[in-house]
Amino acid sequence: MLQTSNYSLVLALQFLLLAYDLFVNAFSELLRTAPVVQLVLFIIQDIAVLFNVIIIFLMFFNTFVFQAGLVSLLFRKFKGTIILTAVYFALSIALHVWVMNLRWKNSQNFVWTNGLQALFVLQRLAAVLYCYFYKRTAMRLGDPRFYRDSLWLRKEFLQGSR
Amino acid sequence: MGKTQVCPPRALPPLPSGVKDDIPRSHPKKKKSRSKSLRASASSEVLAEPVPHRPSEGSEPPTTALKEDSETPAQRRQKRTRPPLECETSFTQKKTSSPSLLRNENGIDMDPAEEAVAQKPRRKAKKAKPELQYANELGVEDEDIITDEQRVPEQQSRFTAPTGISQPVGKVFIEKSRRFQAADRSELIKTTENIDVSMDVKPSWTTRDVALSVHQAFRMIGLFSHGFLAGCAVWNVVVIYALAGEQLSNLPNLLQQYKTLAYPLQSLLYLLLALSTVSAFDRIDFAKTSVAIRNFFALDPTALASFLCFTALILSLSQQMTSDRIHLYTPPVNGSLRAAGIEEQILQPWIVVNLVVALLVGLSWLFLSYRPGMDLSEELMFFCDTEEYPDKGSKASS
Repeated sequence: MLQTSNYSLVLALQFLLLAYDLFVNAFSELLRTAPVVQLVLFIIQDIAVLFNVIIIFLMFFNTFVFQAGLVSLLFRKFKGTIILTAVYFALSIALHVWVMNLRWKNSQNFVWTNGLQALFVLQRLAAVLYCYFYKRTAMRLGDPRFYRDSLWLRKEFLQGSR
Repeated sequence: MGKTQVCPPRALPPLPSGVKDDIPRSHPKKKKSRSKSLRASASSEVLAEPVPHRPSEGSEPPTTALKEDSETPAQRRQKRTRPPLECETSFTQKKTSSPSLLRNENGIDMDPAEEAVAQKPRRKAKKAKPELQYANELGVEDEDIITDEQRVPEQQSRFTAPTGISQPVGKVFIEKSRRFQAADRSELIKTTENIDVSMDVKPSWTTRDVALSVHQAFRMIGLFSHGFLAGCAVWNVVVIYALAGEQLSNLPNLLQQYKTLAYPLQSLLYLLLALSTVSAFDRIDFAKTSVAIRNFFALDPTALASFLCFTALILSLSQQMTSDRIHLYTPPVNGSLRAAGIEEQILQPWIVVNLVVALLVGLSWLFLSYRPGMDLSEELMFFCDTEEYPDKGSKASS
């Protein structure tokens, strides 16, 4: 069974990483006095996303549903989050590589093209959706039903096997 | 050796006179066979059961019993010599068959003295048994084993009998830092009661409650960000129109004045829009798409607010390029006509988009403020199964 203190700690860490992600997405364009600053911000942002993925998977492994072998049920419930996180991570890396490539020589250059603009919008929209879905998943994993055998779990399993 | 002196010869009445003479000779033999049998039984114990069990326990009581016998008269001795042997053999046999019988109900090994006490009634019972039919010792022992096996339940009850007499000691020995330390039973009970009380208190704050409180806190942040965003967007539009002058005639002035504000405001708008959108999605439980779409077509204010927020976010993001252009704006040297034309071409859509964004976020704030307490995610995520959480389900419905 998941301890309340442990869950609070994990949730705080997840929210901290999400807040950092949101902060970098919002203000990275402002913090471009030197290309290295932006590079470091981007690297930490990508690592933060990876950390969040690791944490959420560790939370999955900790559930009774997973330990009982009902991985498909867990995936069915949280596939939106998993897929969206993967998409967001890919978009983030693509945008970061592209932007750093264009701004490495001079960070104050106007580098925007239509393609970059499209990628930027997609990445930022994905960031919002990722934030919503990740937050929702992290909070749903606090539900004690995931950590014990229950009638609800049996119903879900029967629904899934149909 | 003391045993040989104390223990009377095992020659028993059924033996013929010729055999009687051999008693002193046969005695060491008997001892040998006995010890053999004991060793055999002991080895069989070792082989058969790795359960820890002290051989001294098995051997001690009979010796004490034998010592007692040495003080009794010869007649009684003759009668009694067999039972201790039987006891010994049967005891070892019994031990091999079920070592748990030597334990009392509390799982504590019985004291040898207690064992002796436990054996006494058995001896009396044996007295009545005819001993004449046994020709040799092996036969006797075999028979004993059979009779013992038959009497297992009876013996069990006798072995466990002393447990009823034992009284709990006032002190309890608890292992602390690899040492057993005596602790008062009453104190221990008190501490366990305290633990029980704390255990009773703890479950009231579960992980579910933590998630719920965080969700509610985020809803408050979202509500604040909605209002702040609406105010910010409206202020932004007002500043733009004020700087641009009547009929947008003074665009170079707008560019020069607004240049430093453009990017920070764009970043702030994105941050607030992201927070507001996430909060609005939380309200309609966007992850349950069917419910969200149904609510949207039913023109639910919250669903409409989420849609408006998301549209405003897309529009605001699409102006990132223009914002960067304004941010990097350098006034032309002599205000050429070409530069002025480009300014108008770029700035007009940007101003319109900003106006639309301000309208959208203003409307979404109004819609959300219409029903600030509405939160579908909270209801669907946390109170969906009323049969499992009847108390919370009733709370949600109320």
